[in-house]
Parts: sequence; structure tokens; C-alpha cells
Amino acid sequence: MRHLHFVAAMCAALCLLAAAPARAALNVVTTVPDLAALTKAVGGQHVDVQSMALGSQDPHRVDAKPSLALALNRADLLVCVGLDLEIGWLPNLLTGSRNPRIQVGSPGYLNASQFVRVLEIPPGKVDRSEGDVHPGGNPHYLYDPRQGAAVARGIAERLAQLDAKHAADYRANAAKLTAEIDKARADWEKRLAGLRGAPVIAFHKTTAYLADWLGFEPIAFLEPKPGIPPNPSHVAGVLVLSRQRKARMVLIESYYNDREAKMLANMIPAPLVTLHGGTDFRAGETYIQHINEMVGGLEKGLAGAKGG
Amino acid sequence: MSSVSRRPHGALVVVSIAVLLSAAGASAQEPPSSPPADAGSGEPDAGAPTSDVPPGLTPEEMAEIEKAFGGDTQQGVPSSTSAPPDSKPGGGLPLSIPGAGSGTNFLDLSFILDVAAAGFSSKEPLQGGAHDPTRNGFNLQQLELSIGSVVDPYFRFDANIVYSQFGVEIEEAYGTTLALPYSLQVRAGQFLTRFGRMNATHPHAWDFVDQPFAMSRVFGGEGNRGLGVELSWLAPLPWFVEVTGSATDATGEATARSFLGASNDRVLSPLDLQLTGAVKQFFPLSDDLSLMWGLSAATGPNPTGYRNRTDVYGTDLYLRYRPITAASDTLVTLQVEALYRRRQVPDDVLTDYNGYAQLAWRFSQRWATAARYELGTAAHGQDGKVAADPLDPEWTKNRDRVSVNLTFWPTEFSRLRLQAARDDARWRDEADYSVFLALELVTGAHGAHAF
Repeated sequence: MRHLHFVAAMCAALCLLAAAPARAALNVVTTVPDLAALTKAVGGQHVDVQSMALGSQDPHRVDAKPSLALALNRADLLVCVGLDLEIGWLPNLLTGSRNPRIQVGSPGYLNASQFVRVLEIPPGKVDRSEGDVHPGGNPHYLYDPRQGAAVARGIAERLAQLDAKHAADYRANAAKLTAEIDKARADWEKRLAGLRGAPVIAFHKTTAYLADWLGFEPIAFLEPKPGIPPNPSHVAGVLVLSRQRKARMVLIESYYNDREAKMLANMIPAPLVTLHGGTDFRAGETYIQHINEMVGGLEKGLAGAKGG
Repeated sequence: MSSVSRRPHGALVVVSIAVLLSAAGASAQEPPSSPPADAGSGEPDAGAPTSDVPPGLTPEEMAEIEKAFGGDTQQGVPSSTSAPPDSKPGGGLPLSIPGAGSGTNFLDLSFILDVAAAGFSSKEPLQGGAHDPTRNGFNLQQLELSIGSVVDPYFRFDANIVYSQFGVEIEEAYGTTLALPYSLQVRAGQFLTRFGRMNATHPHAWDFVDQPFAMSRVFGGEGNRGLGVELSWLAPLPWFVEVTGSATDATGEATARSFLGASNDRVLSPLDLQLTGAVKQFFPLSDDLSLMWGLSAATGPNPTGYRNRTDVYGTDLYLRYRPITAASDTLVTLQVEALYRRRQVPDDVLTDYNGYAQLAWRFSQRWATAARYELGTAAHGQDGKVAADPLDPEWTKNRDRVSVNLTFWPTEFSRLRLQAARDDARWRDEADYSVFLALELVTGAHGAHAF
């Protein structure tokens, strides 16, 4: 009997040892790299984080590669933007992951839009004559660092729930990140004070939260409707309006073809500012660095507008 | 094309449709009566006619804009859909979009309509797919109703119900488990078996208007599907390896053709079920380039005699190039499938090969082109000679078909395709030609796309 107990204890110890390296980290998969960067900042060494989309990639149109299903199969937590941003590619992957921990409604599924003050919720019913609309509201909220901070706190709470042992660490990291964002934000807002009230042209309707934060006015979009590519008559109309309203700059995400935006910017004339759609998480960029880089681009555009 | 000269009717149909469509496109270019709902107060009319230069622009500037868009290539494109958002009648929305409003949404519903105008040079075109255009003039390929929903924490439910002009068919209706351990998953109900790449998909996912004849010849017009159960497993390996096995009733009007199919034979013992197995492997060669490779096999009874069986072996390759590390609309896919079929018939064993290879290139956000080559050999007996095939008695020589098409996508919810093919069935006197102009509309919940 004694021997049996000893053997059982050894086995248990061996199992624990073997399992220990795997259990050192929560395995987190996020749909976009901004969420990955926020999760890494909050989770620190307790989490392994992977983003399904690259920062250079249009998050509306990600290929549902089986390798992504494999990543989801091994995930303890899935963090997504929500508001139907990923509806074209995530549902199949989620079913194919065969992972009950991260299915909708499970603790391992986190829709980050619940922490956000959602803008542009269409009043009443919508249909696609208005383009590829998001019926739940505009999903591009991670451009606003205030929303980013709220999302980070939400992720920290979920990590604390899944891994109670390190709950204090997650909350402390979130508090630290929020403080850093607030501090950086004061500087960003000072640098971009000139944007307040400025009329701006954008390519896609990604500007709602950025405009809400920085106070500029998106007067027109190069896409006639979300998801519909620009056409000559629409661009001509935008050009006329840009001149009438003296548009200060043209904004476009790096994942869109910028041919029309470049031409429009030249004809207004106004500076063209290319925004990176997401954090270059794989290269180690943090969310704050990403926003800082975006602010730098906007600042340059603003200076160019003054100069030109 | 000789088909046009021989078949003025088909050509006329196509031409008149093209005229109609361009007229429709032109009328859609008229200015819409109201600006997009929340695009800002100063938003100008999105669709001002291109021929008029808006105030404040010089004609040169207008010309520059038009030149930048490649002349008139987009003239037929509505700059915005003509229905103004504010003038919707109250009940004008038959389907709710998930997440809309505050109400709960239990079902994702979508309708997919496929219609085509077709012209064939042959009176009896060799079109085998149940959704293929098959006759001169207009063809309703299908109206597909897709329903999907999570049932509870343990199951999700999916169904594809197809309405044709003369009836309704339950193509698929199955439950999928969500919470099995060990990366296992079970599907139960009626489903398209996971043999190869094309078989498990619906016309909406195809790059061509019609089905490769390899599918209709070996599996039937509806491909291979059946009532049954499927178990699949994601192997715990560093790369994606999925192993799938299913057992299905090998019977049906337009399915399991090489098995029991539409014959009167029924399942009498477990040996009369069709067993299908597949291994899929995925290799992300780079961020931009991916490769999927599959091996499949199916075995089941055929109706030619006691315990006579059919075996089908297949391999499929899918290479996808889509740059995601920089802004690009490019998408290039190469898809190849080959099937080897072996059938026991009285006093002989018949073997034949069928396959296709297709290359599709999306070269802008709205335009794509594709080419496909298909080959099917005659059935050979054990002695190596061409044998009488009980399913396709006329198929005594090779058949090959070459198809090319051009696709225009107004948005990802609609597409227009022009496709032409040369079908050379060597047992016929001459090759057949065909031309299709197909329209597809997707409405309702935006279904996710499988890889």
C-alpha cells in the first residue's frame, strides 16, 4: 500500500512537472494586433499572445486559414473586436476550432466592444443599400486611446477571472497601462490641438472614434458607401466639397489602395496621411507606440497643411 | 466563336441581357436623391452624372479623375445603390441582420440567388451538375436558403435548403458539436461529405458557373452527400492536420451516383453504407502564400450485383496567394483535384480518371478572371480495354473541357460572371461550345467564408 502511494505521488509529481511549462502562460488569441498588444501589456509574462490578423491587413477581410483554426484550438482566451467586424471570417474558424473554452458565451470568449462607448449605431433598421454597414455600430474604436485603455481594463478583468492566481498582476498592469496612456494622451492632444474643428477627408469610415477624440470633422469619405470602391463622380464631388470646406488632410489606412486618395490630396491640395491600421505586434510594437506613430503622422499632415 | 454563328438564339439572349444590364447600370448612375445617412452634413450627391463637371472643377481636372479610373471601366457601376436609405418602406426588410436593433437574433438567415442566361451550340449539352445552366435561354440555377445558429452550448445547426423552379430540396441539414473533448467534432444529419475540396461546397463558393464534370460524373449532380454521421479530429501536431471520417446512406436521386444512387437498392446491412475518409493538411508557406493538401477516399456498394463495391480515391491541392503584408487587392488561387474510380461490375472491374485544374486571379477589388481545364477518361476494364460503363454508356472516349470566365463584383454580395467553354467529348462528332452570363445575389446574414 505504502509503495502504491509513493508511486502515485511520483506519478502526480511527474505529471505536474511535465505540465508546468504549458501552464505557465494563458494562451490568448486576438483577432487584430491592437488587441494583442493590449493583452500583452496587461498579461505580461503570464500570457502567450497571438494575433490572427496583421497590422497591414484589412481586418474586414481576413482569410479563414486553417492555421488560425489551429491557434484557436489551443487558445484559453479569444479576444475579438466584435460589432460584426470579423463576421466574414471568424465564425467558421470558431466552429472549426473544436475548442469549447472559447465559444461564444464561454469565459474564454471576450468581445471587447462591451467596454467601449459605441459610436454610429444606425438608428432603426439598416440594409446594405447603405454599403457594408455594421448594424451594431462602428467597430474601429481602437483608434481612440481612451477606448483602448477601457478595453485593456476589461481584458485584465477577464484574465483575472481565468487565472485568479495572477489577478493582482493583471490589474496592476492594467492600471499602469492606463496611467501611461493618460500621460501620453495629454501630450498627443496638445500636439494635435490644431486638428480641433478641422475638416478632414477619409477613405473608409474608420474615423468616427479618432474624430470623437481629436475633435476634427470628417466631412466626406472616398468610398461612396462603406465597402464600395471610389468612382469618378463621387471623387469629383468630394474634391469640390474639400475645396469649399478647405479640407486639411486626407486620411487613409495603409491596407487600402491609395491611388484615388493620392490623386485627391494632390488636387485639393492637402497632405495625405497614411494610418497604419494596426499595431505591428509581431515586430514588438506596443499599442502606445502605435498610437504615437499615428499621432506623428497626423502632426506632420497638420504641419504640411499649414505650410502648403 | 462558332457557337454564336450556329446558335443565334443563345447569342441574342446574351447580347440583349448585356444591353439591358448596361442600361440598368447607366440609370443607376443618376444622382441618388439623398446623401448617405451619416456621412456628414456637407456630403455631396454621391452619384452625380460623370458627364457633368461639378461646379468648382475644371474639365481638365474632371478628365484627370476619369482617366485615373481607367476610362469607362466603371461607368456601368452604380456609384451608390439607387435606393435612398431614407425612403425605405416600413416593411421593406425581409431579413434581419444579426446584431441589428436590440432584439435577440437566434437565426442567421441568408438567401442566395443564382440565375444565368445560357447559349449552347449543342442541342443536348453535357451539363451534369444539378445547378448548372443546362438549356438555351434563362436558367434558374438555384435559390438557396441558408440557416445557421448555435443551438445551445453543445451544438450548432446549419441547413441549406434549395428551391428550384419545380420543387424544394433539403441539400444539407446537420448539427455540429461544439464541446467534445480531444479536438473531436461530430456532424450528424444530411451533409455534403468532405471528399476533396469542391464536393463540400455550394455554388456560392465556386469560381465557375458550373460544376466540374468530375463531380457530377462520379458523385452525381448534387455532388456526394447523404444522411449520416461524421467524426473529425484535429491532430495535436504543430501544423494543421484534420482527419475526417463519415458513414452515410449511399442513396439519393442526384447523389452517390457511383454507389447506390437512384437505384432501388437500400441499406440492408452496415456494409451498405458509404464510408468516406479524408486527411487535410495546411501549410502557411508565408504570410502571403498558403497551401492546402488533401487525400480522400470513399467506398460503398453499387447496384450492379451482390456485394459489388465502388471505391473512389482523390487528392486535392489548393494554393492561395494573397498579399497581406502590403495594400493589395490581388488574389491568385490554383486548385487541382484528381479522382480515381474503381467499380466492381459483373465479371469486370472498371477504372477511370477524372479531374480538373483551375487558376483564378482577382486583379482588382471588383474584377477577377479564371480558367479551368477538365479531363475525364473512358472506363477501362481489367483487360485494359475500354469497357461498357453502366452509368455513362456513351462515354467511350476521353472528354475534356476548357472554361474561361470574367467576374465583376459590385460588392461582395453580388457578382456577374461571363463564362465561355469548349467541351470536347470525343465520342461526339464535334466539340460543343457554351456561353453563360450569370448573376448571383446574396442577401441576409453575411455568412463566413471557409478557406
